[in-house]
Amino acid sequence: MQTKLAYAQKINRLLALFLLLFIYNISSVAQKSPEENFKTCSACHTIGKGRLVGPDLKGITEKFEEEWLIKFIQSSQTMVKNGDERAVKIFEEYKIPMPDNNLSEDEVRALLEYIKNYDPNAVAQTKPAVKANPNFLENNFSYLPKNTKGIFYISIVLLLLSIFDLAVTKFLKKAVAIHIMIIGSTVFLISMVVYQEAVNLGRYQGYEPDQPIAFSHKVHAGENKIDCQYCHSGAMESKRSGIPSANVCLNCHTVIKSGTNTGTKEIAKIYKAIDEGKAIEWVKVHNLPDHVYFSHAQHVNAGKMDCTECHGDVANMGRIQQVNDLSMGWCLDCHRKKQVDFDNKYYSNQFKKYHEEIANGHRKGVTVAEIGGQDCAKCHY
Amino acid sequence: MHIKIKIKAALSIVLVTLILSSCTHDRKKPGMQYMDDMVTPIAYEDYSPNPVFANGQTEQTPVAGTIARGKMPYPYARTAEGQKLAGEQLQNPYTPTKEVLERGKAKFDIYCMICHGSTGRGNGTLFESGKFTAPPTDLLGDRVQNLPDGEIFHVITKGSIAGLMGAHGSQIKPDDRWKIVTFIKNGCSVKVK
Repeated sequence: MQTKLAYAQKINRLLALFLLLFIYNISSVAQKSPEENFKTCSACHTIGKGRLVGPDLKGITEKFEEEWLIKFIQSSQTMVKNGDERAVKIFEEYKIPMPDNNLSEDEVRALLEYIKNYDPNAVAQTKPAVKANPNFLENNFSYLPKNTKGIFYISIVLLLLSIFDLAVTKFLKKAVAIHIMIIGSTVFLISMVVYQEAVNLGRYQGYEPDQPIAFSHKVHAGENKIDCQYCHSGAMESKRSGIPSANVCLNCHTVIKSGTNTGTKEIAKIYKAIDEGKAIEWVKVHNLPDHVYFSHAQHVNAGKMDCTECHGDVANMGRIQQVNDLSMGWCLDCHRKKQVDFDNKYYSNQFKKYHEEIANGHRKGVTVAEIGGQDCAKCHY
Repeated sequence: MHIKIKIKAALSIVLVTLILSSCTHDRKKPGMQYMDDMVTPIAYEDYSPNPVFANGQTEQTPVAGTIARGKMPYPYARTAEGQKLAGEQLQNPYTPTKEVLERGKAKFDIYCMICHGSTGRGNGTLFESGKFTAPPTDLLGDRVQNLPDGEIFHVITKGSIAGLMGAHGSQIKPDDRWKIVTFIKNGCSVKVK
């Protein structure tokens, strides 16, 4: 009997424990954790890291009594309106109304407890760690033309030796065929190199200058997934896509004061430029000659081209590099292949022949070249 | 005979020095140019340095007291009062139609999504990755949805009073800013309600 009773008691205790756990679970689902709630506060407040928009919250539980704090956190503006002296004083000092928080008294108590026991070092560790990348500025590939110096040197030396032997030493007197072979092949190689170098003159393919700030597109466009047009916002509006002025950097860098890879060193250059009122002198990479007209707006809006089609995989580039040679042949290649949006309103009254041919089924589409994209005066005027 | 050799030697030295000075491709240098008469512009380019102006830049801000064609001055300051005033005085010229919302979404995706997230819930990549430490505002929450359109327009133009969101007035045209406002007020969705 006794053992049975003890058994029943044990079961009862277990049941009670389960019930308690169950209730605890329900209540923890209904209430947000103080960490979650503090995220809202942290937009304007710090704990022990100084004044932001609102006051530093360190030691706030000792300065004010709990009842007052609960009321203030729930609706500060009601207290200001009702003429609470301390609330009015805070509002006049900071001048920005603290928005009302839809929190229960228990939630605010938990929040205050959280603020009281807050250890800045412990929290810093729980933040998702952003890994530094030592190669943030380097590129995995270079589009520089191949270095043909070696072939050129060897060819020149062989050619000179051969001519010298033919004219002066006459060492291979009986095998003139070898001389002819050497001279022929070296002259061919030399002219090939000279031709290629001449073609590359005035083209900046692979140009990758050092910039005044160690800015990495790999970090900004790749890791952070910032849209190209966030900074180059002129791409849809004007001829130039635009180099962002320092105030655009500040949109994020007022908060992000220390970079993952460079610390505060590089970001401080932005603040310096703003303080001194001087522009950051970025080095322009993509240069077209003055005798050609190019408009970004036309290519992005009407042409619906993606930035990468001309600028390459910028999201995986550290320093910006010119991927294409931007030669006239390269432009025309695309103009001959790319089909225009022929349903466009603009074309409906023009190019009747093309419309007829499309209607007949003789033509699938119209390329840029076929509507005048190959005429000299389209780009050179 | 000797003269010939001398000429040859001289020629080869000239050639070698020529090779040494060219043919090397350096990523830091744009490369060589020939006949650059029409390549380098005579006029000052937008971003080129300019000795004419005191600050050495070609692009200048408008002269004080003048208004550029097609631009409207924006008189509201980045303060709580300025924001309230903008909310009372500015009217959204757009109603949520399909075209307006789609343009609004396109611009939202470029300028707002990184912080506020594609759904507008405040969970953009920049915050989720832990780089941007301050939590972005939930645009679908009551606080933003109950704001007058003018106040949202003001925050986009001048930035938030708290200073955590920057001014986007220099990047987005006023017309597009209103379309973004319309898109946000439509619950960050392109469906016409």
